[in-house]
Amino acid sequence: MMSLPARSGDVASRPNRRRFLTSEWPKWPPGGLRPVGRFLSTGRVALGALHWLAWIIVSPRSVVSGGVAREIDALGVSALRLVGSASILVGLIATFQVAYQLKQYGAESVSALAIGWFGTREVGPLVVALLVVTRSASAITGELAAMTTGGEIDALRAMNLDPVKYLVAPKLAALCIALPALTIISDGLITLGGWLGTTLFLGFNSRFYLEQIRTSLSTSDIAIGAAKSLAFAFIIAIIAADEGLGVDRRVAAIGEATSRAVVYCLLGVLAADTLVNAIFYFIPNLI
Amino acid sequence: MRSSTSSPTSSERALEVHRLTGPARAPLIHDIELSAGCGETVLVLGPSQSGKSTLMRHLVGLELASSGTVAVDGRSFDPTKPDEKALRGLRSRVGVLFEGSALLRRISVLENVELPLLEHTHRSRTRARGAARELLAEVGIEIADETMPAQLGRAGQRRAALARALALRPRLLLLDEPTLGLDSQAAHEFDDTLNGLQKKYNFGIVIFSHEIRHAYGPVNEIDVFAAGRIVARGTRRQLIESDDPVIHGLLHRRERER
Repeated sequence: MMSLPARSGDVASRPNRRRFLTSEWPKWPPGGLRPVGRFLSTGRVALGALHWLAWIIVSPRSVVSGGVAREIDALGVSALRLVGSASILVGLIATFQVAYQLKQYGAESVSALAIGWFGTREVGPLVVALLVVTRSASAITGELAAMTTGGEIDALRAMNLDPVKYLVAPKLAALCIALPALTIISDGLITLGGWLGTTLFLGFNSRFYLEQIRTSLSTSDIAIGAAKSLAFAFIIAIIAADEGLGVDRRVAAIGEATSRAVVYCLLGVLAADTLVNAIFYFIPNLI
Repeated sequence: MRSSTSSPTSSERALEVHRLTGPARAPLIHDIELSAGCGETVLVLGPSQSGKSTLMRHLVGLELASSGTVAVDGRSFDPTKPDEKALRGLRSRVGVLFEGSALLRRISVLENVELPLLEHTHRSRTRARGAARELLAEVGIEIADETMPAQLGRAGQRRAALARALALRPRLLLLDEPTLGLDSQAAHEFDDTLNGLQKKYNFGIVIFSHEIRHAYGPVNEIDVFAAGRIVARGTRRQLIESDDPVIHGLLHRRERER
């Protein structure tokens, strides 16, 4: 041993590399209760995001608000082509499927009724949500996970700045605006796809199709679809952000978190949709 | 154990760490004693994966310690259960330059520097922007307002991160591998800028690095760190004369680097 005074005792054995690399605070509670900790962590992110979302609405000229426009562009506007083309195809598929089933009963002509109602209330919000999950949830998780492993999240915390405020709230605000907007656009394009199928392939005229759609659609259907998409936006933003912020400090963990985020978001959206459908089934006069 | 709320201590030093062990869930650093005065530079020198970054994270409350105390600029906080108020007080006095700069990629360099000014001071956006430009000029960067971090080279990013760390005029600056990946000239220029700013603002500096070249700069004290412990402490001369195998290995690497 050297002659210098060593204040801190002998050299200990080298720490376990894996444990060192995966060190990240907080990771509570340990072991078998980890799912509970995960749930609490997601809840904390959700509450924080809601708090800062309210703050953005109250104080729209803040530092964070500039990020909302950027996120709307990244998460919403750039998804327009995908949502648009997929919606037209879904409209065509729905036409063929519904017409095929009704043909057995000689009721092929009322297929537009089903397309208008089911497309707006169910297929539109769900298709848009699933497309946004596959496209944007992975992007949100990947971005936040890369920032976590790259030290940007720590840098924010070290400056006493809340990462949820700067990174999650703008994404939540953007999705809450973009998803209902995309859903309404998708509703229109599914109807367009239905019109193409009905007129070009089933041989009905446009006036007949539009009358059927007018009969089947009501404002409340569009409102319910938009409200559902708002709930989906919240689920997607919070799950994806929580997965990104909770990632281990390993490069390989980014891919794992991204896959997990897509799976959990898909399940979350489907579960929420099931719940809403069950509510409307058991309480039909709710709206 | 001290109270978790900030309270003045008798020390006037920029940093005082006493018997720090952590993280609480699985300790990797043990019984750390560390101190740095205002205007002083302390080098924590040790091999990669020895726990230097973990130690630095404890000093700004990013890790929960299992025991010990930390005092910054004469105010102590309990790293085992820091409360929000104590953390706010601590972090307003400490500037941190993380390994790899850690600038926010989605906003411009100027916005990165003005962010702490807008959030923690009462300056208007115009005044914060002006102050951010001055800070960038002080660290030797003159860029357009829209320049993004990715448009800067590694040395430029490091300087911009230094400007951000100094935005709130901290009493203590923590630097994690500050010149890692920079060429020799850029590293020396960065050191010169840092030393000039320290003379001007009289803040304490703690450098966490595995690069022995820092030992040949103007450092007041070198703490040799290995496997989560400080195994030796002294001046550069004392280290050169040491026959400790860990220190000998580090100095020998310097010769190879040359």
